[in-house]
Amino acid sequence: MIRLLIDGQHVEVSEGTTVLKAAERAGIELPRFCFHPAFVPEGSCRLCLVQIEGFPKLELGCSTVVREGMKVATQSPVVREARRGVLEFLLTEHPLDCPICDKAGECKLQDYASDYGLTESVFREAKEKREKRLPIGEKLLLDRERCIQCTRCVRFLAEITKTHELGLFERGVHAEIGIYEGRPVRNGYAGNLVDLCPVGAITDTDFRFKTRPWFLARGESVCPHCSRGCNIYVDHHPGFPRVPGSAKVYRIRPRVNEAVNGPWICDYGRYGFVEAQNKGRSDRPFWNRGGAMTELSWDKVRIVVGEKLKALRESGRTGRAAVAASGWLTNEDLYLVRKIFRDDLKISRLFIVDPKPGESDGMLLLPDRAPNRRGAAELGFDLAPPSLEALTRETDVLILFGPHLAAHFGLEELRTAFDKIAFKILVTSHLSGLESLADVVLASATPAEKEGSFTNADGRVQRFSATARSCPDVRPELRILQDLAREIGLRSDLYGPAAAARTVHVALVQEIPFFGARA
Amino acid sequence: MTRATKVLTELFWLEHLHRIEAYLDRGGYQALKKALTEMKPEQVQEEVKKAGLRGRGGAGFPAGVKWGFIPKDLDKPRYLCVNADEGEPGTFKDKYILSHDPHLLIEGIVLAAYAVGIHSAYVYIRGEYELIARRLEQAIAEAYAKGYLGRNILGAGFDLELVVHRGAGAYICGEETSLLESLEGKRGNPRLKPPFPALVGLFQCPTVINNVETLANVPFIIQKGAAWFVEQGLPKDGGTRLFGVSGAVAKPGLYELPAGTSLREIIYTHAGGMKDGRKLKAVIPGGMSSPILRADEIDVAMDVDSIAAAGSMLGSGAIIVIAEGTPILHVLRKVAKFYAHESCGQCTPCRLGTSWIHKIVERMAAGGGTRDDVDTLVRLAGNIKGRTLCPLGDAAAMPVAAIAQKFRAELEATLERSAVRP
Repeated sequence: MIRLLIDGQHVEVSEGTTVLKAAERAGIELPRFCFHPAFVPEGSCRLCLVQIEGFPKLELGCSTVVREGMKVATQSPVVREARRGVLEFLLTEHPLDCPICDKAGECKLQDYASDYGLTESVFREAKEKREKRLPIGEKLLLDRERCIQCTRCVRFLAEITKTHELGLFERGVHAEIGIYEGRPVRNGYAGNLVDLCPVGAITDTDFRFKTRPWFLARGESVCPHCSRGCNIYVDHHPGFPRVPGSAKVYRIRPRVNEAVNGPWICDYGRYGFVEAQNKGRSDRPFWNRGGAMTELSWDKVRIVVGEKLKALRESGRTGRAAVAASGWLTNEDLYLVRKIFRDDLKISRLFIVDPKPGESDGMLLLPDRAPNRRGAAELGFDLAPPSLEALTRETDVLILFGPHLAAHFGLEELRTAFDKIAFKILVTSHLSGLESLADVVLASATPAEKEGSFTNADGRVQRFSATARSCPDVRPELRILQDLAREIGLRSDLYGPAAAARTVHVALVQEIPFFGARA
Repeated sequence: MTRATKVLTELFWLEHLHRIEAYLDRGGYQALKKALTEMKPEQVQEEVKKAGLRGRGGAGFPAGVKWGFIPKDLDKPRYLCVNADEGEPGTFKDKYILSHDPHLLIEGIVLAAYAVGIHSAYVYIRGEYELIARRLEQAIAEAYAKGYLGRNILGAGFDLELVVHRGAGAYICGEETSLLESLEGKRGNPRLKPPFPALVGLFQCPTVINNVETLANVPFIIQKGAAWFVEQGLPKDGGTRLFGVSGAVAKPGLYELPAGTSLREIIYTHAGGMKDGRKLKAVIPGGMSSPILRADEIDVAMDVDSIAAAGSMLGSGAIIVIAEGTPILHVLRKVAKFYAHESCGQCTPCRLGTSWIHKIVERMAAGGGTRDDVDTLVRLAGNIKGRTLCPLGDAAAMPVAAIAQKFRAELEATLERSAVRP
C-alpha cells in the first residue's frame, strides 16, 4: 500500500494507482474531459492537472502514478489558474450555443466553466466556422463547433468496439473528428458515444430537441431486452400531477455495474427500450366480443375472469386449462404464477413463451431476448416453447402472458387453434394482433413501471423498483394475479392487496434460497 | 589544448565524399573496425559517456546516458531511430551531414547499435529532403555491399538492418514520440510520457532515438578517444557544434565551432558581421523556439548550460540574426503562424493557444491591435508553457513570451500608431 497526502487528507491506495483515482478515494473529483475509466489515459485535455510537491511542473492526475509520501494539491491557486487557462482556451472556439444544445444542463464544459468562474471573455477574434450537423451514424449527429477534441468517441470505437469508424483529421485548431468516406459509425454500441461525449458535440437524433435534461427524472432499472440484465437509468418525464397518461421515457443510459455491463449498454436495448415503452402499448383492459372491442373496468375484469377460473376450479376441470407465462415476467410474477396455477389450481400445463432468440454480438447482447429466462428455469419452468397442439388441445381456458406467441405462429394458424377454446385471457403490455384472438385483454406494466427482480443469464438476481409512471389503467402482473387469486377464493398472505413485490420476494427467497444468495 | 576546430565538417570540401570510396580513402569505417574487433559494446557506451556527448537535437541530453536507459534483460527487440526530421526553422545542419557525408552517419549508427545491442535501425528523414534521402539510400546500399551493414558486419558477428523512412511534412514528427507514431504508420501525435521510449518505444519495444549530428560524432569519439573529444568542447558538453547562421549577416552558412564559443564571436568573427553594415537588433540563438536575445545580450557562450543560464536555449544551434529595420511584429507573425500551423491539435493549450496567439498577432499586423494585446500574449504564452503534452507547447510559448516582453515598447508603439480601437 502507498500512503500519500491529497489536499491535506491522508490516503492509502494500492501500488500503481493514479493520482486521479487516489483523489477519488478521498472524495475529491478532479475535473476531466479526455479521461474515462474504461480507457487508457490520454492526457490531452490538460484539465486534471495537479501540483505535486517537488515536481517542477504541474502533473496530470489521470496518468501520474502515486508514490509513497507524495504531497498533492488539487485546489491550489496555481492549479486553479492552470485549469482556468485550459477552460478559457476551450471556450474561445466553443460556439456557446447552450440555449439550443441538448447537452445543456449535463454538460461538463458548462459545469467547469461555472466552477472556475469563467464569465467574461477577452477573446476578440473570429471563431472558426465548422460543420454543425454532420451525420456520422444512423442516429448520430456531430457538431464540430462544440467538439473539444477529447477523442473519447474515437477511443471508444478503437478500444471497446474495435470498429474504428471515427478518426482524427487535420491538425492544430483545424483538427476535427470524422468518419472515413462512406463508412459511418455502424456497430451495436453507437449510442454510447452520446453518453461519452462530455459536451454536446455528438447528439442522438432520437433525443435531439425533444426535451431538456433538467425536466427529466432519473430512475434506476434493469434493461429487459436480453438476458444480460444491463443496469440502466431510465430518464423520463415525471408527468404532471393532474394530467393522466403514462410518463414518457425519453432515453435510457447505462448505469455502471462492473459485474454486468460495465459502463455501456447496446443499441438494441437502448433504442428498443424507449420504443417499447412509448409505442404500441395496450393501455387499458378490454373485452373482445366477436371483434367488437369494449372497454372493461378492472372491477369487471376481476368478476369476469374470476368467474371462469372459479368455475373451472369448482368443476375440477383445471386439466382443461393452460398457461403460457414468459421470461419477461419478474421472479416474483413467475413465483405467483407457479403458486396460483400449479400449486393452488393444479394446472399442469404451464409453459414459457418468449420472443425468438436472436444472435449474440460477442459483447453484451445475448441471444435470449427476455430478461428472466434464468429465473423461470430456477423456478422449474420448462423453457422450451410449447407446440400449438400442446398449448391448445382439450382446453377450455387459456391464459397468455405477453404478446410473444405471435412471434412463433401465424395469426391465422393461431385463430384456427384458438377457435376451440372457450375463453382466452391475454395479459399484455403491448399490442401484437394477438388481442383480436383473445376474449379479454388485460393491460400490464412494462418492467420500468413495476417493482421486482430479474435473474440474468449468469444467475445474478437484480432487483429494481418502478421508475416510470404508467397509464392509470395499466396494472403490474403481480397485482393482476393477486386480485384474481383473491377473487377465486385462494388464501395466502402473498395474495393480499398489501403484499408488494418485495414481500413476495422474501417468500420466494425463503422457499428457493438461490434467489437470495445472489441479490 | 589542441583544438582541431573542425571535426565533422573537416572534409566536407572533398568531392564525392558521399560515395563510399571517398569515405574509405579518408579513413572511414576505421572506428567501426576498431569497435567491432577491439571493444566490447559496454566499452563503446562508456567511451561515449565519458566524451560528454550531448544530444544535438535540441534538448541536449547526454547521449551515453540515454543509451544506458535501455533495459539489458528484456526479452524484446530493441530499435534505434535516427531523428533526421530537421524541422526547426533556421536549422540546416543535419542536411549538410546527410548530403555531404552520409557514411559518417551510417558509421555512427552502426557504432551506436553495437553499443546498445540493436539489430534494426531507422532513419526518419523529413519529407522535404527528397534528394538527400535518395543519396542516403545510395550510401546505405554501398555500405551493405561492402559489408558495413547487414549480416555479420566486418566478420565480427554483429548484424544491423538500416531502413530510411521519409516523413510527410509535419514539424511535430521531429518530437521523438510523434516520430515513433509516424514510423509505425499512424498519425504523428506525441505520446504521453512515461513510459519513455527507452522502455516502450517503437512497436512497444525499447528504443534509442538520436539526432543525426549526435551520431555523426560517435566515430570520432571511438577513433580519437573521449579525452580528445572533450578537448574539442567543454567537459560536460564535449565536441564541436554545428551552428547554422542565417539572416542579416555577411556570410550566412554552417559553422563548426567548439561548444562554448561566444555568440558575438560567431556573428562578428565567423559569419562576417552584419550584412551591409546594418545594426544588430536581435538574435534567435537556437532555432525558432528558443527565446529571443536582444543585441546587448549576445556575449554569451554557446553551450547548453551557459545559454540556458542566459534565459534562452542552445536548441539545434540555429542562429537567426535580425537587423535593425526589421519590425519585431514581423518576427512575431512568423513565429505565431508557424506554431499555429504545426500544432498537432492533440492537447488543449497548444491547439487553441497557438491559434489564439496567431489570431491576435494577425489582427495587430492588420492594424487592429489594442493596448492590452501584448499583456494577453504574455498571459496566453504562460498558460501554454509547461502545461502541454509535448515540448511543442513550450516551443511555441517561449519565443512569443520573450518577444512580447523584450520588445514590448516597440510592439506598443506599433499599436498606438495603428490603433483603430482604444
